[in-house]
Amino acid sequence: MSAPARLGFCAAAVLGATVSAQIPADLVDRRRAEFHTQATDADMKREGGTQPRDWNYDLPEGITTRQVTFYVDGGTPLYGKMFFPRGFRSRGKWPAVVVGHGINALSIGIEKYGARFADRGLVAMAIDYQSYGFSGSGADDLRLLEADTTTDAHVVTEKTARVLVKRTNLNNAHEVDDYRAALSFLQGEPGIDADRVGIWGSSNAGSVVIAVAAADARVKAVVSQVAGTPPSARGPAPIAAAMLDDGITRARTGQGAEVDGGFSFKSKVDMWSTQRNRDVRPGSTLDQIPASTRILFLPAENDELSGRGGAGAIAATKFLTERGVTAQTIMYPELTHFQAYSYTGFDVGSTLAADWFLKYLGRGEPPKTPAQEGRR
Amino acid sequence: MIAAVLAAALAIAGAEQPQPARPEGVIARDVTFVSESVQCYGRIYLPKGFTPESRAAAIVLAPGWAETAASIDKYAARFAGHGMVAMAIDYRGWGRSGGFLYLADPVRWDDRLRFSQHTARVRIRRKRLSPEAQLLDIRNAMSFLQGEPGVDRARIGVWGTDMAGGHALIAAATDARVKAAVGQVPIIDGHDVPRKAFAPSPETQAELVRLARTGDAPGNSVSAAALNVAEAKIVLAEYHPFWYADAVPQATAVLFVVAEKDLKVNNATNAVAASKLIKGPNGVTAIAGAGHALATPGAFEAAVEAAAAWFLKYL
Repeated sequence: MSAPARLGFCAAAVLGATVSAQIPADLVDRRRAEFHTQATDADMKREGGTQPRDWNYDLPEGITTRQVTFYVDGGTPLYGKMFFPRGFRSRGKWPAVVVGHGINALSIGIEKYGARFADRGLVAMAIDYQSYGFSGSGADDLRLLEADTTTDAHVVTEKTARVLVKRTNLNNAHEVDDYRAALSFLQGEPGIDADRVGIWGSSNAGSVVIAVAAADARVKAVVSQVAGTPPSARGPAPIAAAMLDDGITRARTGQGAEVDGGFSFKSKVDMWSTQRNRDVRPGSTLDQIPASTRILFLPAENDELSGRGGAGAIAATKFLTERGVTAQTIMYPELTHFQAYSYTGFDVGSTLAADWFLKYLGRGEPPKTPAQEGRR
Repeated sequence: MIAAVLAAALAIAGAEQPQPARPEGVIARDVTFVSESVQCYGRIYLPKGFTPESRAAAIVLAPGWAETAASIDKYAARFAGHGMVAMAIDYRGWGRSGGFLYLADPVRWDDRLRFSQHTARVRIRRKRLSPEAQLLDIRNAMSFLQGEPGVDRARIGVWGTDMAGGHALIAAATDARVKAAVGQVPIIDGHDVPRKAFAPSPETQAELVRLARTGDAPGNSVSAAALNVAEAKIVLAEYHPFWYADAVPQATAVLFVVAEKDLKVNNATNAVAASKLIKGPNGVTAIAGAGHALATPGAFEAAVEAAAAWFLKYL
């Protein structure tokens, strides 16, 4: 560990309004040797992405799953995989969290977090964002290959038509909408306490969850892994000449340039994605997060993508704490970005995230009496 | 190949609409621009003597609540009379623009094949109120204009009326390409709402839950109309253009043209209050004696000239 990074870790450990508002971080210290092994073992290196062996997991005894469809933006179907804890009863009151994947990725890579959270007593739902995986493409990504002859005389028209379906539209504004729709779905699920819902996001989604927290006060607890959203200015993002040209091409032909996207899952994405995603700058809306939302940042010390030393997370934690919002940063020592998802990184990271959710969302409450159980 | 297919689909269908009086030498043309995946309609007015070698400023004109380009293209014609390129647009799902597309039956896709063509049952929704989508349409219309030969891409303005007055303010605060904006009889909600995460009322939360759990694209006009209403209530509860006033960059000029006797909008808590937060050039011009519709004698004339003067000065 470099000296500045070590300092960063120490600084992170002392942040927070009060000690009582924090979860213990001693687990990290106790497993420091294992972190060191993961950071230095050649087989545990993860350069440029996770690997299929990192996605596999054993469903813990007693955990049940259900695949569900929920809707966003007036009818776009999204996919979620729910994980229910042992003892879950649809007439009880359980806390629940949405689990969202990173940049240009798929929920199958992070299902194991859902399983782990359920093992700890939370309901969890791993989702695919629109235009990814098992989720549908929305109105922004479905294109008629013929003239649209519908008129305002009809608010809806059903017909058979030639359609172009576009996938992997890397779009953080969509992801914010998708998280919020998933929260709504969970709030309506029998057995879930609508007042105790949270969100987990990693990498790009580690930024998106902060934007969700700034947009939607229903979120009571947030875990942002291997991301960092330092405070930033509001106002328009600058636009480079090449992007401006691409915007013109998009508006005139319907499709701009494509570039390679993703790490663990690779595909082409629109070059414009980079520009559009600058519309969603969570650092500029940190001041919108209410005190009723509690935020845990889990940066990796040697994160080559989101910044080393957890600087963004530490700056955001300081900003939030000064404004009365409970926030904490706990850093994975020595790990790189994609090492957070496996071995000690996963084990400690998912444990701390579950600790956070359990502290601020509370535990599941079974129906109190048989009489209550029978009531509906 | 995809581009060719897309281009072939760009034909606009629609009835002829009444045209506003055009200043001498001004030429009007119907165009299609693509907003994300939606074919959108614009009516573009080119000034006298305009050629591909011109370097004209260009304005996107955005219609108000439940309105279309036909309601505002008289402003576009007049801006063109002042030497600017001006384009009045229909938002997606309104007027002559395409609607919101949903697949009625599942199709098989593979993310590795980014684009796939299908013959499928679709549901096309219209007359939705979505500020988020309307802002995208305005910004994509700006992109279209920037690509018009003879337009100076560095001098882009946005004009919006009624609800789109708020859109114009947000465009100025979120899109670096906007150099000047005019909000006419603008609805700039949010003066009395702290800039904080949205906390839905129990009723709104129940609606959010209902839409997320059962909100498949509606298959008949009754459910579609009901959904339009339900969605509008939710989005309006969270739509606060006022929050963006202090995020407009110093270099961007914003004018509000208000009706002195506006019964629909409280100018003091909308345009006047918002203008006080704008860092750069700003102003509020009141049209004496006029109501929200600017239907009194001389009101249109005064409003269009105030906007044109603002664009000429700052573009």
